Amino acid sequence: MLLDYDRLGWLKAALLAFTALVAAFLLLPVVFIVLLSFGSSRWLAFPPPGWTLKWYQELFADPSWIEAALTSARIATMTAILAVAIGLLASFALVRGQFRGREVLRGLLLTPMVLPVVVFAIAIYAFFLRLGLGGTTVGFVVAHTVLALPFAIIPTATALEGFDKSIEDAAIVCGASPLQAKLRITLPSIRIGIFSAAIFSFLASWDEVVVAIFMASPTLQTLPVKIWGSLRSDLTPVIAAASSLLVALTLALMIVTALLRRKLQT
Amino acid sequence: MTQPFLSIRKLRKAFGAFTAVHDVTLDIPKGEFLTFLGPSGSGKSTTLYAIAGFQDPTSGDVLLQAKSLLSVPSHKRNIGMVFQRYTLFPHLSVAENVAFPLRVRRRPEAEVKRKVADMLSLVRLESFAERLPAALSGGQQQRVALARALAYDPPILLMDEPLSALDKKLREEIQAEIRRIHRETGVTILYVTHDQEEALHLSDRIALFRDGRIEQIGTGEDLYLRPATDFVAGFIGNSNFLVAEHLETVGSTSTIRLADGALVSGINANGSFVHGQKARLMIRPEAFRLERAPNNAELSVEIVDIAFYGERRRIVARTSAGQEIDIRPTSSAVATHDASPGQRQVFFDPGGAFLFPA
Repeated sequence: MLLDYDRLGWLKAALLAFTALVAAFLLLPVVFIVLLSFGSSRWLAFPPPGWTLKWYQELFADPSWIEAALTSARIATMTAILAVAIGLLASFALVRGQFRGREVLRGLLLTPMVLPVVVFAIAIYAFFLRLGLGGTTVGFVVAHTVLALPFAIIPTATALEGFDKSIEDAAIVCGASPLQAKLRITLPSIRIGIFSAAIFSFLASWDEVVVAIFMASPTLQTLPVKIWGSLRSDLTPVIAAASSLLVALTLALMIVTALLRRKLQT
Repeated sequence: MTQPFLSIRKLRKAFGAFTAVHDVTLDIPKGEFLTFLGPSGSGKSTTLYAIAGFQDPTSGDVLLQAKSLLSVPSHKRNIGMVFQRYTLFPHLSVAENVAFPLRVRRRPEAEVKRKVADMLSLVRLESFAERLPAALSGGQQQRVALARALAYDPPILLMDEPLSALDKKLREEIQAEIRRIHRETGVTILYVTHDQEEALHLSDRIALFRDGRIEQIGTGEDLYLRPATDFVAGFIGNSNFLVAEHLETVGSTSTIRLADGALVSGINANGSFVHGQKARLMIRPEAFRLERAPNNAELSVEIVDIAFYGERRRIVARTSAGQEIDIRPTSSAVATHDASPGQRQVFFDPGGAFLFPA
C-alpha cells in the first residue's frame, strides 16, 4: 500500500500526536464537567478548592431531577422498542425488496440523521400542536422515534445484508413457514445488529435535547431539558452532577454493547 | 405402465424474454439417483428450484406420486434439500440444526432425540453434536446439512451443487459418503452439478442440460459411449473431432472420407446425412490404438509430444490434414509399441467412432 502505517517513520509520531490532540479537544470538556461535579466550589471554579459529594446529595434529594431522569428513561425505552420494530420491517423492505423507489425510501428513512434537528423540531412542534400531541409522552416518543430510525435501520440492514438468504430458504424447505423461518432463524442470526439498533435508538432519545425542548411541558421534562432549563436559571454544580450521570449511563451502555458484541461473535 | 414416482411435465420457466427452461419432461423412478448436468445457465438449477418451490414455473407441472406439487408451498412439500452454500443455522448447535425440521413438525421429544442420533451417525458426526456450525469445516457443514435434509424422511432429496465450495480431495470423500447414504436410505436424489466427473461417479442416470433443454438422458455409460449429439460428446469426457465428408449410410452405419482422403466405413451415424455432406467424426482419445487390430481403421499422424499421466500416456499428434489430436494409450501399450515423435499409423475401431453434422 502507498500509505503503509508501519512505514510512515516520523510521520507516525506526528499522526499519533495529532490524534491525541483531537481526542483531548473532544473529551476534555466532558472530563472537566465530571471533575467539577466533585468540586466544592459553588461557582464551578477550576481547579476546585476541595472535593465533595454534596452536589450529588442535592441532586438525589430533589424529586424534580429524579422525575426528569425517569421520564428520559421511559421515553428512551419506548423509542428504542418502536424504532427497532419499525427499523426491522424497514430493513427487510430495503434489503430484500425489489420495488421501484426503494433507494428513495432508504434516503427518506435516513434523512433525520442529516436534516438540521432544529428544522425538524420546529416542523414537528407545529404539527403536533395541531394534533394536540405537544407536551405528551406519545408526542415525545413519536418525535424521538423518527430521529432514532436511522440509528435502528443502519445496523439492522447491515446485519441482514450479511445474512445469506439461502439459510432462510433452507429453514423453509425444512418445513418452517416463511414467518416461522424469519422468527426462529433469521432474527436470532442477526441479533447483534438488532441489539445495536436498540442501544443506539435508546441513546438517540436519551441525550436528545433540541426536539425535547419543543416537546417538553412544565410537567413533562427529560433530563437534558431539565439540565438546559436549570442552566439558564441558576448555574449550580448540581447540573455538573446530573451531566456526569448522563455521561456515565451513556458510557455504560456503550461498554455493555461492546462486550456483548464480542461475546455474541465468538 | 405404472405411475412414475416423480414426473416433470413440459416444465417451462421464462424470465421476461429469456426462457431458462424449455418444456422439460422427465420421469424419475423411486430410489433413483438422477443428476442434472450442464454448463452454468443451462436451466438445471432452475428446474431444481421449481421442484423445491422457490421458482414458480411459467407452465408445465411437477407431479409426485401423481399429485401436483405446484400448488403446495415450499414448506409443505416435505422435500429435503442441500444447498450450494453453507446453510446451517449459525446460532444453533449441530444437533439442533438436525432437530429443526422435526421441531417445526412438532414431533415428540423422544423421537427427535432418536432421529438426531440416527442422522448424525449416518453422516458419521456423532461426536460433533454440541458444536456450533462455525466450528466445523466446510465438508462437515455439508454433511450436517445432509443429515438435516434427511431427518424427516423426505421422499425426494434435492442437492444443488453441494460440493462446489470444497476442494478436490474432500469432494471425492463426500461423494463416496453420498453414494453410501443413497444406498443405505434408498431416498430418491436429484443432484445438480456442472462437474461431469461428479455426475459419472454418483448417478444412476444423467440428464445433460443445454440451453434449457435436456440434450440427452441416460446412464453415464450411455452418454459416454453413445453420445446423441456432438455437444454431449464434447461435454462428457475428452473427445477428438476429425473433419470428414459423408459418403453413404446403409442401415445405421456410414462410410466417410477423412481429410487425408482415407475412406472409413462402419461408422455410427447420428442423424441423417446426404452424400458429400461435411461432418465431424468423434473419437475418444483412449479409443486410438498403437497396434493394428482386425477391422480397425487407420490414420497416419505425426507424433509431436508424449507425456506421462500415470496409468496412461498422453500423446499430442497431428494428422496429415494439420488437425491436432489427443491420444491416450495405456502406459503398457506405449512400452511395447514405439511412440517416439515422428510419422506413424494409429488405429481405431470405427464402431466406437461417431459421426455428427459439422
